Amino acid sequence: MTQTIDISSYSAITDAIRNEARRILSDSTVSAVIGYTAGRRKGSTQPIVITTADDADQLIFSAACLNDLVVYLTKAKKDVPKGGRIGIVVKGCDLKALVGLLGESQLKRENLYLIGIPCSGVLGSLLKPAAELTTETIASKCCECTDQLPVGCDFVPTVTPTPLPDLEKRYANEIARLEAMNPSERWEFWKEQFSKCIKCYACRQVCPFCFCEQCLCDRNRPQMVEQTPRPLGNTAWHLMRAMHLAGRCAGCGECERVCPMDIPLNLLNRKMAKELKELFNSEAGFEVREAGPLTSYREDDDQSFIR
Amino acid sequence: MQKQITEANLRLLIDSLLLKGQRVVGPRQSGTMVLYEPLASASDLVTDELPRRSIKEAFFPVCEDLLEYRKEGQQIELKDIDPDRFPETVLIGVRPCDAAAVPVLDAVFSWDYQDQFFLARRAKTTIIGMACTTADDACFCTAVGLSPNDPKGSDLLLTPLVGGGFLVESQSEKGEAFLATWQDRFSEPDGSQTQALATPALQPLDLKKIKAWLDDHFEDPAWDSIAVRCVGCGACAFVCPACHCFDIVDEGSEKAGKRRKFWDACGFSKFTNHASGHNPRDLQPKRYRNRIMHKFKYYDDKFGQTLCTGCGRCIRVCPVGIDIAGVLEEIQGK
Repeated sequence: MTQTIDISSYSAITDAIRNEARRILSDSTVSAVIGYTAGRRKGSTQPIVITTADDADQLIFSAACLNDLVVYLTKAKKDVPKGGRIGIVVKGCDLKALVGLLGESQLKRENLYLIGIPCSGVLGSLLKPAAELTTETIASKCCECTDQLPVGCDFVPTVTPTPLPDLEKRYANEIARLEAMNPSERWEFWKEQFSKCIKCYACRQVCPFCFCEQCLCDRNRPQMVEQTPRPLGNTAWHLMRAMHLAGRCAGCGECERVCPMDIPLNLLNRKMAKELKELFNSEAGFEVREAGPLTSYREDDDQSFIR
Repeated sequence: MQKQITEANLRLLIDSLLLKGQRVVGPRQSGTMVLYEPLASASDLVTDELPRRSIKEAFFPVCEDLLEYRKEGQQIELKDIDPDRFPETVLIGVRPCDAAAVPVLDAVFSWDYQDQFFLARRAKTTIIGMACTTADDACFCTAVGLSPNDPKGSDLLLTPLVGGGFLVESQSEKGEAFLATWQDRFSEPDGSQTQALATPALQPLDLKKIKAWLDDHFEDPAWDSIAVRCVGCGACAFVCPACHCFDIVDEGSEKAGKRRKFWDACGFSKFTNHASGHNPRDLQPKRYRNRIMHKFKYYDDKFGQTLCTGCGRCIRVCPVGIDIAGVLEEIQGK
């Protein structure tokens, strides 16, 4: 049965992030704060970069604050102000991506001021941004979330997140369904999914880990992957991206959320995460690791694949 | 000419067309989405949802082959695509915001270069539009000078009637010919009231005033604040009924392959990358500025029309919530 999820704490969180942003901008702790602001349509939101304390009142937090703002810190987004320390609003899932980027030496912790959100969940889609947050409309990633309260931030509003009700583990269930298929059935499933791709690269552009300055897919001298939105190039693109993200993806689920063609991209990433957990006992978290599971060697690494 | 058709006869008409071997394309459920796709039967037609992608792909597909090549020794064999192979098509249930984009595309694909791939499909297509009785808060056709029953681009326009069925108005010779061919399915209008049309919330925009600002503000700090959030994907351009940029690439091997035309987007960082490595639109705000300039200034300068029909698709799909209607309101307020 559909249950409403209590997000009454979000107004207190909004007040707290406004106050903190005002404080750190007025005392010049930071030069800018990246957060969320309300959009024109009822309930809609969009990312915003504010640089003055007067603009702090534009910041909000609501169930429609889906974006992983960490993407704005990467070198793929070189037009966001880079002078001095930058404040950023992060949910637990976003923070795990940020921690991953710290581990990959893409960011320096001392250049950041982290405003963590005690998160009670966000919507799965912005097609209806004013929708109520319920056990139906909540994002799939939230259904399996164990990181509602971010750890290691500079500021977290003193609000306790609503404990999530017992939610259907959508990814786990879907992965189990796919694992139960035989390889040709599974191939058919993914072939159909990838055939929908129109190569808009929204998945790549919102991904904090897609910070390559030259994506292999954009190379044309020589061409490495078919550029056109056809089965061959689409499949190559999505599998290549899944492999490149294995052991790095923090599960923010943005790739899947933004796909205008409803391709369940995060399923690939969740499956890789599951393998990484099983094989290397490795998963994305709040602790910075200098080397990921696939970029380091340990004597007890699984070697069963060598025959 | 005005006629009337019952819902049942409309469905029968679609089935008759299909029986004749006619290709009929309309909104239909495709997995989790509604898309314009070939209908297999009249029951496939969905009339209450704007398809996720626009009708432009009926003339300008996501990707299409332009030619084939084969090389053996010094011999190179080229094979053109025969535009005669494009099938006669009836597009049905086309939303007015989609149909209105078709004449906009006509202008650009038949201007200095006659794009035979676009024009051959266009010549073989009859467009049956359907007026909208519902709108969501991303719809803004009325703000850019169109309306939920705008006939622009439609050969026939269907408007839902209060007691069921549709008022049918022909808008072109193709429309007249279609009515004549299928006259048994239509009846004379009995004076039934048409249903109340959708009422998009956004107030009409002053496109002249917006253009006047754009004429003078190629450089302006507003572009940074508007577009700093843009992450540079092509989702907006790809779902847009009027965006028409494409790239051409040869794919295959040295021995054999195909030359293909496929959608491109001005939001991509490589869109204006020169062979030298120099990129005049090196940052995202410059790319987003081009999107707005092209739609509301350059296209108007050249063809006297706006390159936006207010379908709202870009607003719905933008990963970072960029709302082109809100951007236009902001510019209008300057």
